[in-house]
Amino acid sequence: MGREVAESCVDSLLTEMVSTYCHRFYANKPELAARRIEAIGYQVGHQLSERYTMERPRFTDHLEAIKFICKDFWSELFKKQIDNLKTNHRGTFVLQDNRFRWLTRMSVDPQNESQDNSADGENKVAQATSMHLYFPCGIIRGALSNLGIPCAVSADISNLPACSFVVRIKA
Amino acid sequence: MPTAGPRSGDAIFASVERVNAELFTLTYGATVRQLLTDLEEVEEVNKQLDQMGYNIGIRLIDEFLAKSNISRCVDFKETADVIAKVGLKMFLGVNATVTNWDAEGTCCSIVLEDNPLVDFVELPDTCQGLHYCNILSGVIRGALEMVSMKTEVTWLRDMLRGDDSFELQVKLLKQVPEEYPYKDDE
Amino acid sequence: MIVCVAVVGHQNNPLYIQSFTEADDALKLHHIVHCSLDVVDERVNNPRKSGPTLNETFLGLLYPTENYKVYGYLTNTKVKFIMVTTDLDVRDADVRSFFRRFHAAYVDAVSNPFHVPGKKITSKTFAESVSTIVKSFGFSSAI
Repeated sequence: MGREVAESCVDSLLTEMVSTYCHRFYANKPELAARRIEAIGYQVGHQLSERYTMERPRFTDHLEAIKFICKDFWSELFKKQIDNLKTNHRGTFVLQDNRFRWLTRMSVDPQNESQDNSADGENKVAQATSMHLYFPCGIIRGALSNLGIPCAVSADISNLPACSFVVRIKA
Repeated sequence: MPTAGPRSGDAIFASVERVNAELFTLTYGATVRQLLTDLEEVEEVNKQLDQMGYNIGIRLIDEFLAKSNISRCVDFKETADVIAKVGLKMFLGVNATVTNWDAEGTCCSIVLEDNPLVDFVELPDTCQGLHYCNILSGVIRGALEMVSMKTEVTWLRDMLRGDDSFELQVKLLKQVPEEYPYKDDE
Repeated sequence: MIVCVAVVGHQNNPLYIQSFTEADDALKLHHIVHCSLDVVDERVNNPRKSGPTLNETFLGLLYPTENYKVYGYLTNTKVKFIMVTTDLDVRDADVRSFFRRFHAAYVDAVSNPFHVPGKKITSKTFAESVSTIVKSFGFSSAI
């Protein structure tokens, strides 16, 4: 039985880590903040993939590795699997989580969602949300690259609280 | 639903949402490593970790008071006990003890034999001045400030530096009476 | 008795190599480990040879030399584990359990936030646990 901590430890740490990079270090350089947050995620994903693949046979192809991310890997992190996996069969995979835990536990004001780009506050919420998502994007990229699959990962939140992670495998 | 009186740390930890400690441990480790890369100076990293902890502490105190059913701690002694027995247990799942009280009852040590932050961690020689767990001292300082206790929290022993346990010294600098939160009665 | 163990990265870069003999045959052992890497590559790239065990992390006996037996293990992250023993009568289960523990020790070592992927493992804790695992090899079934 592995060690556990309260979920609020992870929530607090993530919130504070993101805010440290976005507001204190790189307040005027969001792209730099994003890169650092992604790098932290990358290291975590790299290490977690090493741990979570320990007891299993090697994957034979990309799809098998992606399925592992969707099922076992996601379950270890979020106690649920990815809800929907799509691919164009040309190296792009879309992993959709209908209720992404790290977003539902963040307070994103639902009232603002309909008025796209209108209010400044709405922009800030969207920006804060996307900053948070660099972390899980980094985790996925770190995990896959450690499994021998170099890729780029981005997040799409046009359908909150659903969140789609788009994985583009580099040829 | 609400039970009378304070709840034990074990009971709360058993009832809250929990996750794999690995995610927490590795995320914290990657954050520390990234801070070292970005800030270069170990002292500066210590300061940032403490600040991050402080910010977390001032937010976490509400969750702590709500879940523990603790209304107010009467004195510093009781408060230190609650941090060790309830606070650390309900968040990190670890047991801690309070020792080394001074005669005035304003300074004590919280001792941890074990701490999920440091699983897998080995400090490289270049980081010997790093207080790796500094976020934790910041959390305690921040949380106490929200219940009107101004404290100074320092590491006396650190397993990452070869000690046999973690020892956090908590020193009460000033207690603002609860009844007069706006006045500074000197 | 296990005389040498090694961890080798996915680009055949050595991450850890340790011999456990007093004799000055370290160089020879390193050579054996080096040669075994080719055997691993060959195994993995030629599915027909390895049959149904193609994807299993445990690769079994890589090759026997006059005095040694060399075993291999390949993780999902393409890290190779090599073990050289002088025992001629080795139980498959012992070797499997050895690699499982060796692998677990490796995973903990690379979970250190200060470990840089692809760089040599310098952790003292890792060296100690490997040494313990090596010493206890085959012990459960020896008597």
